[in-house]
Amino acid sequence: MARVQQMRIDHTTVLTLVLVAYLSSTAFAETKKEFTYTVGPKANISVETQFGAISVKPGSGTQVLVTATFRSDNVEVDQQQKGNRIEIASHLLRGNEQQASRVDYELLVPPDATINLRSSNGPLSVERLQGDITLEGTDAVMNISNIENGHVHVRSMRGPVSLTDVRNGHVEIDSIGGDIHLEAVTGPLVQARSGSGRIFYDGDFGSDGDYKFTTHTGDIEALVPADVSAAFRAHSVLGRVRHDFPLQPKHSRFREEAGRSFIGTSGQAASEVVLRSFSGKIRLKQQR
Amino acid sequence: MTCSEVERVLPELVDGAPDGAFPADFELHVKSCPACSDLLSDLKLIADQARDLAASEEPAPRVWVRIAAQLREEGIIRDAESRPVLVPVSPRRRWTSTAWWLAPVAACLLAAGAYVVSHKPVPQVASRVSTPAVTTPTPENSVMKAAADSTKAAAVASATRPIPAAQSPSRKFAAPADVVASAAKPTVEPQPSAEDQQFLSVVSTRAPSMRATYEDQLQKVNANIREVQAYLVRYPGDADARQQLLDAYQQKALLYQIALDRIQ
Repeated sequence: MARVQQMRIDHTTVLTLVLVAYLSSTAFAETKKEFTYTVGPKANISVETQFGAISVKPGSGTQVLVTATFRSDNVEVDQQQKGNRIEIASHLLRGNEQQASRVDYELLVPPDATINLRSSNGPLSVERLQGDITLEGTDAVMNISNIENGHVHVRSMRGPVSLTDVRNGHVEIDSIGGDIHLEAVTGPLVQARSGSGRIFYDGDFGSDGDYKFTTHTGDIEALVPADVSAAFRAHSVLGRVRHDFPLQPKHSRFREEAGRSFIGTSGQAASEVVLRSFSGKIRLKQQR
Repeated sequence: MTCSEVERVLPELVDGAPDGAFPADFELHVKSCPACSDLLSDLKLIADQARDLAASEEPAPRVWVRIAAQLREEGIIRDAESRPVLVPVSPRRRWTSTAWWLAPVAACLLAAGAYVVSHKPVPQVASRVSTPAVTTPTPENSVMKAAADSTKAAAVASATRPIPAAQSPSRKFAAPADVVASAAKPTVEPQPSAEDQQFLSVVSTRAPSMRATYEDQLQKVNANIREVQAYLVRYPGDADARQQLLDAYQQKALLYQIALDRIQ
């Protein structure tokens, strides 16, 4: 009996030691640092991390709060403020160039701030802001939502890009192989280009805007309401092109070729929509 | 000789005997078969027209020399093993070449005539497509050079004239799959250009974990560029395709820029 009790005590001791060691290691690997800055209107904020997520949300009118979460001790954060400009960048420590080390950032910024984010693997997310936004990544998933009046510029190699409810600004998205998803995106200029990625648009193309979607091999699909007001021109050099609802003919210098292109208008043709692909399929569909 | 045999050998015979001398059994059949007789007459007419067309549309020899030099520079062709894809030849020598060159010409023209060809599918044009001069950007000056190159490439694409063999009156007579196949994604991936190799070397040094990713994307954008270039050789008047070529070069510039931002 005593022997059994002794074994139980030993077992418990071992488990406790293991648990303490684990918690210690976890606590060491994940540390947080906070940086706070006071800025004026239209502050310019840049954050760059080789590996890690960056999330930006609106905060108070004059403060920028940055929370950096370190996953290891092989990375260093350089941060500086020069007037209304804040620059934050993380990099691997000297002698550890080959190791991937992650730093995640969470930012609360004034709604009118200009944001520049760069991360290889991301994800990157920005929401509910009114300033200009620039995102760049290699494989990073990028999500931008509820942006009013700000210009949006996105450059991606392979990561998917998603914009939701972005209005009244210029939108330019360039991707080499990533998909581009646009939902309720309107503005004076909306341009999306992808080499092999797919472009999907769900919206009404607003009013008085220029929309240009271009792919090389990726398909383009636009889902529009019945009362959309736009002039459409679609052409695929080698792919199939079709529209699923009637368009009014439009006089144009561009030649229409059945199955390869179409030209036409809907409603008052308030916006101009150009869909081009080299070998991808293009389809204009009506929302149900 | 039967009608089907006549149709099979007709293009070769017409090419090999421009003066009208044919084998005896062939001539015997043609004399007795009105359909084959009409077929022979039409093909002779088309072949004669093709000669005149090729002679009038022949680009200046310096064009081929320049293109060949650029291809050698990029490693796409090599002097030791094979002759260049494009060799400037005089029109007279062209017409004494072997039948393999004229067969695609005749086949394309026969397809255009439609009613003189049998039900065989239009054979693929040989992938002797001219690739306009391509200059790829260097890492150090990728953005400016890529923009300049894309403009130059677009201008070259618009100025490039098709090889007569590849010219056809309308894309309707080449199904999209045929065009894609013959728009020459080469069967062997060409060697990266010197600039691309330098770019990958820098990436290997500064961000080795990313090399495979960038190399893969670089191959894809280069393949896209070649695809459009090959298409423009056949259809130089396609404004949308020229714009697509510009877009493809801009994609390459974007790739360089993303990489440089990453490794600096």
